[in-house]
Parts: sequence; C-alpha cells; structure tokens
Amino acid sequence: MANPKQMPDEFYQWMKQLQEIDFVLVELTLYLDTHPEDYDSIKQFNEFAEKGMRLRQKIEKKYGPLMQYGQSYSGYPWNWDDPPWPWQM
Amino acid sequence: MSTYRKSWRPYIGPNDPCPPIEIKYYETPPNLYLGYQPYGLKQFDPSTALFKGTLWPALYAPYSNPYKKKREEEE
Repeated sequence: MANPKQMPDEFYQWMKQLQEIDFVLVELTLYLDTHPEDYDSIKQFNEFAEKGMRLRQKIEKKYGPLMQYGQSYSGYPWNWDDPPWPWQM
Repeated sequence: MSTYRKSWRPYIGPNDPCPPIEIKYYETPPNLYLGYQPYGLKQFDPSTALFKGTLWPALYAPYSNPYKKKREEEE
C-alpha cells in the first residue's frame, strides 16, 4: 500500500495564513462583543472575513474540502475523508 | 512583562516541616488595569498575533515561572 502523497509546502503556508486570519477574527469577535459601535473594527472584521473566505476557496479548489455537510464543495470521487486530517497536518 | 508580577511574604512558623517559601508571587495581567478596552489600540500583525496569543500588544503578558529561577540558583 503506497503511503499517501505528501502535501506540498504551499498547502501548509496557505493553512497557516488561514489560521492567522481565523485568530484575528476570533479576537475581533470577542472585542466587538463589548464594543458594538466600533466602526473601524467592524470594517477590519469584514475585511478579514472576506480574506478568509477567499483563501478558503483557494485552498479547497486545489486541495479538497475543508468542511463537511455542505460547507465545502466535494471533489470527485468523494474525498472529504482524505488525509491529512487536522491532527495529521 | 514581569512588572505585572506582585509578591508578598507569608508568615514562616518555627515548626514548618518543609523548607519555607519566603516570597509568594501573583500575576496581575494588564486587562485588570485596562478596564474598558479603549478604541483604536495598536495591533500586532496577524502572524505575530497568532504567535503571541493576542491581537493587542497592550494585553500581551507572557508568564515566566518566578520560582524556577530561584530553584536554579539553589541547585
């Protein structure tokens, strides 16, 4: 049984960027919960949300779905359960 | 920074079986002094923020074990 193909470095770079964007979104969410009128932060939040969506699409187009139950498109054949899983990254 | 670290000296009784701890330390992180977070605080860039664990330098307070330093001196 051939071992599964190793993911290229580009995949890891993109996933790291995605993690950075998601962390900023978490921090901004917590901040905005207590600062609902902060316009600049809401603008920044939407910028990062959009950046995150675009990056997620870019990753999924090339490396398969990241989420399930319709959150991501599936490749052919059914490949949402292909490695690497999050803990195998 | 360690400036957020405060300390007090517990009472050391004569019948203490174990070697006494002369100084006890406790952390007072910056959010205690900040209260309601002001608008427009300076931010880290995303990759540093992920590494440091917070988006705002004002709230960055890494922990270093004050007791470890003393133990190394004793050894």
